[in-house]
Amino acid sequence: MKMIWIIFKKEFLGFYKSPLFYLIAFLSTILLSITFSMGLQNFAMTISNSMYQMGVSSQQMNIHYSVFLQHLSFLNLMFMFFVPALAMRLIAEEKKTRTFDLLLTSPVESFQIVIGKFLALFSVVFSITLVACIYFVISRRMFEFNWGPTLVAAFGILLVGAVYCAVSLFASSLTENTMISFSLGIVFNISLWILGGLSEVFEGPISKPIFEQISLNQHLQGMIEGVLKTNGLIFFCSLIFLFCFLTERLVESARWRA
Amino acid sequence: MIEVLNLTKNYGDRTAIDNLNFKIEKGDVVGLLGPNGAGKSTTMKIITGFMSPTSGVARIGGFDVFESPLEVKKKIGYLPETPPLYLDMTVEDYLRYVAELKLVPSAEIKKNIEKSLLKTQLLSVRKRVIRNLSKGFKQRVGIAQALVSNPEVLVLDEPTVGLDPKQVAEIRELIKELKGSHTIILSTHILSEVQATCNKVIIIHQGKIVAQDSIDQIEKMNQGFVTLNLKTRAAKNIKLILEKIEGVKSVSASDDLTYVIEMSDRADLTDDIAAEVLKSGAGLVELVRSKNQLEDVFLRLTYGQGVNQQENHQVTNEVLV
Ligand SMILES: Nc1ncnc2c1ncn2[C@@H]1O[C@H](COP(=O)(O)OP(=O)(O)O)[C@@H](O)[C@H]1O
Ligand SMILES: [Mg+2]
Repeated sequence: MKMIWIIFKKEFLGFYKSPLFYLIAFLSTILLSITFSMGLQNFAMTISNSMYQMGVSSQQMNIHYSVFLQHLSFLNLMFMFFVPALAMRLIAEEKKTRTFDLLLTSPVESFQIVIGKFLALFSVVFSITLVACIYFVISRRMFEFNWGPTLVAAFGILLVGAVYCAVSLFASSLTENTMISFSLGIVFNISLWILGGLSEVFEGPISKPIFEQISLNQHLQGMIEGVLKTNGLIFFCSLIFLFCFLTERLVESARWRA
Repeated sequence: MIEVLNLTKNYGDRTAIDNLNFKIEKGDVVGLLGPNGAGKSTTMKIITGFMSPTSGVARIGGFDVFESPLEVKKKIGYLPETPPLYLDMTVEDYLRYVAELKLVPSAEIKKNIEKSLLKTQLLSVRKRVIRNLSKGFKQRVGIAQALVSNPEVLVLDEPTVGLDPKQVAEIRELIKELKGSHTIILSTHILSEVQATCNKVIIIHQGKIVAQDSIDQIEKMNQGFVTLNLKTRAAKNIKLILEKIEGVKSVSASDDLTYVIEMSDRADLTDDIAAEVLKSGAGLVELVRSKNQLEDVFLRLTYGQGVNQQENHQVTNEVLV
């Protein structure tokens, strides 16, 4: 436990020394605030239009769907690219600069290395999600809405962000090249969605439910509508565990290389 | 303290080290000497638990490196070929992190950092970011990193490579100071480094140990024979004349002016040779005794220069006994 904390602390503080982190923090706050205000403006316009004409669907009338969810899905999109960028320094760069040798010759177990690094990466995702939630808090001061669904949806995005962390860390452990690590991370993150998307394509009685079960989208959908389901939680946690485990295996195998 | 038994490592079908056996006692400073590609780094990577051997056993302080890696790693400070430096950290933060990784009790961390900064003369740059340090300083940070856990065993892989002569001298001085408080194993392909810093040497060549003993013993391997370098003024072939002198083992002429004479180590023999040279009328320009005994042995063992394989083999056996 102490070892995990030591590695977490080092990586966490390390982020605040890297220019890349500040670039990402800057970009994400700017992009979030622009898209949020645009979303809000659109919403206001739809509402005022609906005063004159009927026929606007009730979903469009709901701030949860038309503003907050848009905001969160934009956050999701950002995570897909930012998380691999942050993850590449965690393992790939350490291998390149040979500092990984220090870790492998210290009294640390591979799983402690992986968990420490995963938690550091996740803490960044967590803080960006918190920043994104500030927009909801501010909106709340201006008008009334139901907290619950929005928070559950934010939690869903946070979980997806954690999946990206595990997947990107895995990509980082596959190579010594930071650019390859970054690109692989993005490809993996996108493939997670594509894999889930296959459930729309397959119609077979067996394959469709299978793909539905492994679909990130399906599980997230529930949360986006504000419903927390156990099998969704289990699904996300097992994905995170799976990729952390694979990363641990790769780190460990570095000791056994031919 | 360090015990290596039948250690072998293959990279694919290439054998990097082949059945190494050696023992290092507590407090020894041992030089692992060999030309590039001999397998020095490979041996060290296995001892430090960085890499697994193909077969064989390595033990540190009685603990098997692969059965109780955590125990072993706590005891070792390791400077790899490339110092493992986080360039964006300051020297002090970096050393603190390494100390924590090596599980130094938190009460001792501060003291250990001060001590290793002092020993490696890094006090003046403690707050500097490592990226901005010169190569010599970076290397010292690498050594400070190995020292910061105050380990029983120090493993230094080519600690002076790529440094300028002044920095090399400083690092050698540092290693001498560390003598006594740690068991040290260092690798190098430079012979004078071993002479300057170690009390034992293990010479490896193409993955095999060709000699291991204390420096004094190895120097004695050539005992009874010395090499003289002779230069004459006039080009006159005196090879035959020299060979006739009693006690001269062999004479090889590089050209008509320069000769290398191998002869038994008798004080008056040099006089005889000088007298013969003068008598022949060739004229004496230079007659020097080759000083470096160890170098002769090293070259013979690793490059086999002027020595046939049979003899080479015998020498090895003698040393290993
Ligand atoms: N990762 C590797 N893969 C394949 N061969 C290697 C690897 N590392 C070292 N070797 C080979 O093993 C031999 C010993 O290498 P090394 O231990 O680095 O020698 P030294 O440190 O004495 O120069 C060399 O012939 C080298 O080419
Ligand atoms: Mg080497």
